[in-house]
Amino acid sequence: MNQTINVEQLNSALTSLRTLRSSVSHVFETLSNGLRADHGEDGKDKFLMELQELLNNVNINLRELDQTVNSLPIPTAPFNLGTTTYLSQETTQDRQALYTQLVNSYKWTDKIHEYSSFAHTLLSQNSLKRSYINSGSTKRRGKMQSNHNVAPVQVDNVINNIDRSYSDMKITISRPFASNAVVQINLSHVLKAVVAFKGLLMEWVMVKGYGETLDLWTESRHHVFRKVTENAHAAMLHFYSPTLPELAVRSFMTWLHSYVNLFSEHCKRCGCHLHHTSLLPPAWRDFRTLEPFHDECKQ
Amino acid sequence: MGVTVLQQYPVPENKTGTHVIELLTKRILALGATQQGQFLVDCESYLSHPQMGTTKTVHILHNSEQPASVFSILESGTKNIHVIADGLFDLLMMKLSHQYTSKKQTKIESKGPRFELGDFCVKLGSVTMNQNFKGILIEIEYRPCVMANAVWSLLREFLQGLLGPAVPVQPPQHLLSKMNEIYTPIDTIYQYLEHFSAYRKVTGMRNS
Repeated sequence: MNQTINVEQLNSALTSLRTLRSSVSHVFETLSNGLRADHGEDGKDKFLMELQELLNNVNINLRELDQTVNSLPIPTAPFNLGTTTYLSQETTQDRQALYTQLVNSYKWTDKIHEYSSFAHTLLSQNSLKRSYINSGSTKRRGKMQSNHNVAPVQVDNVINNIDRSYSDMKITISRPFASNAVVQINLSHVLKAVVAFKGLLMEWVMVKGYGETLDLWTESRHHVFRKVTENAHAAMLHFYSPTLPELAVRSFMTWLHSYVNLFSEHCKRCGCHLHHTSLLPPAWRDFRTLEPFHDECKQ
Repeated sequence: MGVTVLQQYPVPENKTGTHVIELLTKRILALGATQQGQFLVDCESYLSHPQMGTTKTVHILHNSEQPASVFSILESGTKNIHVIADGLFDLLMMKLSHQYTSKKQTKIESKGPRFELGDFCVKLGSVTMNQNFKGILIEIEYRPCVMANAVWSLLREFLQGLLGPAVPVQPPQHLLSKMNEIYTPIDTIYQYLEHFSAYRKVTGMRNS
């Protein structure tokens, strides 16, 4: 009995999800079409009104979906096949195929259940949130929002301060894309890196060798710098903190600076320069101690 | 251009050069390297005519890694002067043949297979002078790094692993003075010249 109710609720939830999707796509469709002839003289205002209305629709649909989803019971265990197991004993020829289909879809839902529970635990543990959805009170939110949109002078100040604190790390700022800074870092004769900023938040890192030409997108031709780029992305996410963006940038730069001995320091765990399978020097630096490790040795 | 080390590899008395090269090839392929063609470094030396005052030697070297360049090194007592020019320099030397005479019998070259292994480039060269086999030179380049003192112990670890504990690995004489400078192709050429001069001095095979 309980299961029939479940199905109905599920059905209505799916329907509201579909309406939400179609209303969202309607918004984008209208947006991409832009002003039309039937908007007339003061087309801009009318267009905005129309958009407002569509967005309101989206809001309403979203709320509906929220409500229906909230009323859904959370499945605690994998679904029980119930009486459907008797399908296997079906004798009619044209219905025998149903059982395999049933088993397949059972497997499928079982997998979804498993994956979603994994995803749920991972997402709830992980602090790598790049959005402000769950980040506390509205007062703080207002303050944090501004870190995406900091005055260029302030960004320059922060970066120049970091530049001054290292004698062997040269940092130059350029602004090829409007107001957002793209920072080039020359670390001694070891490596070059380019970091794209959005306000005071780091968005992208690319690390290359000393003799290579630097740009944002092409990877280094050396394995070791590709590995370092990979690790720099991990570090960028690790140090990410929307509330204290300056600290994040400074910590990242300190971490990057520890690569000054990329080739000369051996791994703290195995004591070798080169790892025996990858033939790479220790391209990982611990986030706190800044000690060098091979990727394979860091655990 | 990364830091390069040139290492002489001893050939045991009862073995042939090709045998040793085959052995090393097997070893490096087992490490996971891929062969990327062949390489050749050659050196020809010219003596200035006695009428021009003290006799000076000019070495002309070519390296297949820099195919468009001709490297020339002028020995003048204590200091060596090098010039890196493009291919036409060879023709210029021919024009100068009555000032500088070529010592044809000392034309020496190192050639063999070239391997890539991760960020390393390894070349196994058999050295021949006038078609006579003289020994084996192994060139190891670590391409991501340009400073010799930063990368030397890493290179030694790699060399020791490749050549075995029997071969002593020391930084090349030329590199010692350049440990804190940016490595350039001419530094490789100097290392080749150092070894080629040593090969010319000994008759038969060189084993030290």
